[in-house]
Amino acid sequence: MYRLFRVAQFTFRELIRSRMLYIWVISCVVFCALAFLLSILSFGEVHKIFMDLGLVGMEFSGLLVLILSLAVTYNTEFDQKAIYLQLCKPLTRGEYLLGRVLGFFLIISLVIISMGLVIGGLVVFIGGGKVGLLFVDSTIFLLLEMLVLTTLGLAFQMIGTSMVGVVLYSMFTIFLGHCIGQVEWLLSQKLSNTVKMILRVVHFFLPNLEAFNLKDRIYDPDLVLGWVQWREAFLYAFAYSFVVFLIGWINLEKRQFE
Amino acid sequence: MRPLLAMDRSLKWPAVLLAVFFLAQAWLSSRLDHWVHPEPFESSQSGTLDPRIVSSLRAVAFLTGYKVLIGHVFWIRVIQYYGDAENGADHYSKLYDYCRLASDLNPQFISVYSYGAAALAYQLNREDEAFKLLQKGVQANPQDASLKLMYAALTYHGHSDYKKEIPFLETQIAQGNAPTMMVNILANTYMKVGRNEDAIRLWRHILATTDSDVTKDEAAKKLKELYAITKVKKVDEATKP
Repeated sequence: MYRLFRVAQFTFRELIRSRMLYIWVISCVVFCALAFLLSILSFGEVHKIFMDLGLVGMEFSGLLVLILSLAVTYNTEFDQKAIYLQLCKPLTRGEYLLGRVLGFFLIISLVIISMGLVIGGLVVFIGGGKVGLLFVDSTIFLLLEMLVLTTLGLAFQMIGTSMVGVVLYSMFTIFLGHCIGQVEWLLSQKLSNTVKMILRVVHFFLPNLEAFNLKDRIYDPDLVLGWVQWREAFLYAFAYSFVVFLIGWINLEKRQFE
Repeated sequence: MRPLLAMDRSLKWPAVLLAVFFLAQAWLSSRLDHWVHPEPFESSQSGTLDPRIVSSLRAVAFLTGYKVLIGHVFWIRVIQYYGDAENGADHYSKLYDYCRLASDLNPQFISVYSYGAAALAYQLNREDEAFKLLQKGVQANPQDASLKLMYAALTYHGHSDYKKEIPFLETQIAQGNAPTMMVNILANTYMKVGRNEDAIRLWRHILATTDSDVTKDEAAKKLKELYAITKVKKVDEATKP
């Protein structure tokens, strides 16, 4: 356990030194300015628009940090062979991978939560509005989504053979993960059984990112968010992350470092 | 002692775990789908969206999971469309369809219904479309009172029943927290029935209290128009034999 936290701490420090927090500053400025601009261009409900855009900004900055961190660490760990130093220590490959996941998730959470605080603070103290409980719920769902994507990205890093490949795999999976709703819609159409079977397989292999997309339903009067939904969303995030983690781990075990 | 995360070289137990957790996540994903899309997905996709409006933004909204964000962006495009005088040549024929799309992407955004319906009914005289838009708004937001009030006001307006419309609006506004749009409608109705003094009073109130620059501009224009009318009337009365 101690070794695991040391790897997580090392990864966190490494990413801080790679100036990942600049993304937080840039995202904060860009998205707050954009949200402000859109809210004054639009008629009415300024706080609503500002918070909606803020949530999008939080997701964007989290994804940006994830993609850039994957690119940076692939370069240092695999291209510059820094992973040799880590693996020659008394550390299993599973601990190494889990530590990386925790380190990545820590920095992404830091970016998302601090951006959420900035947006909430601006709405409450500058705009004189209120931050609803669903804003907090959406942020937690966003963190669950990031946990899944972080594990997925690092699994791709263990499988991939180039930095470009890892970044592209991750970006396509993020995009396709949001298309789950469309896959479901296709499944309800009149299609041949073969096509439906392929779609069903695709549906179960892709991460269901729409399940964490609470920001699009934040004002939905039919939204039910009780204990059952929380439990299932948490369990799904952990089950999917564990599957992806195992795939990454098996690949790392099989990988030859010579 | 064997480390916690040491992999068995035969990779047998991770394979079993992988299979178990894969099935678990597939089952949970199906359960969550019912929560994410409680109604059949078809009805929210092809049933309510108007196929006459081809919009790349619509596709982007459904494919990327940013419906609310793109709904806001699209709403600004609707405002730009209505603000562009060139589109007035065909009497803003796409306004209703655009409002429908904006409300499909973001059904809980009240301004789409209130501003859209007001523009359609009071400025373009397309009451049928305004009613349809408001009906949709009330269905999507059953707890919102302002849309229901506006619907009632439009009903009176549609029958040119100003005697009922004016006291109805006055009562609602007197209760407080009335949307600016409703005050705006009352001011326009005063103008229609020739109660210019009341209209001037209300437009002055709007000019003094609104935060929106667009509404301020409109109020200033209306006041200019009303002052011109009252000036002409006064001159007419003074020159009467």
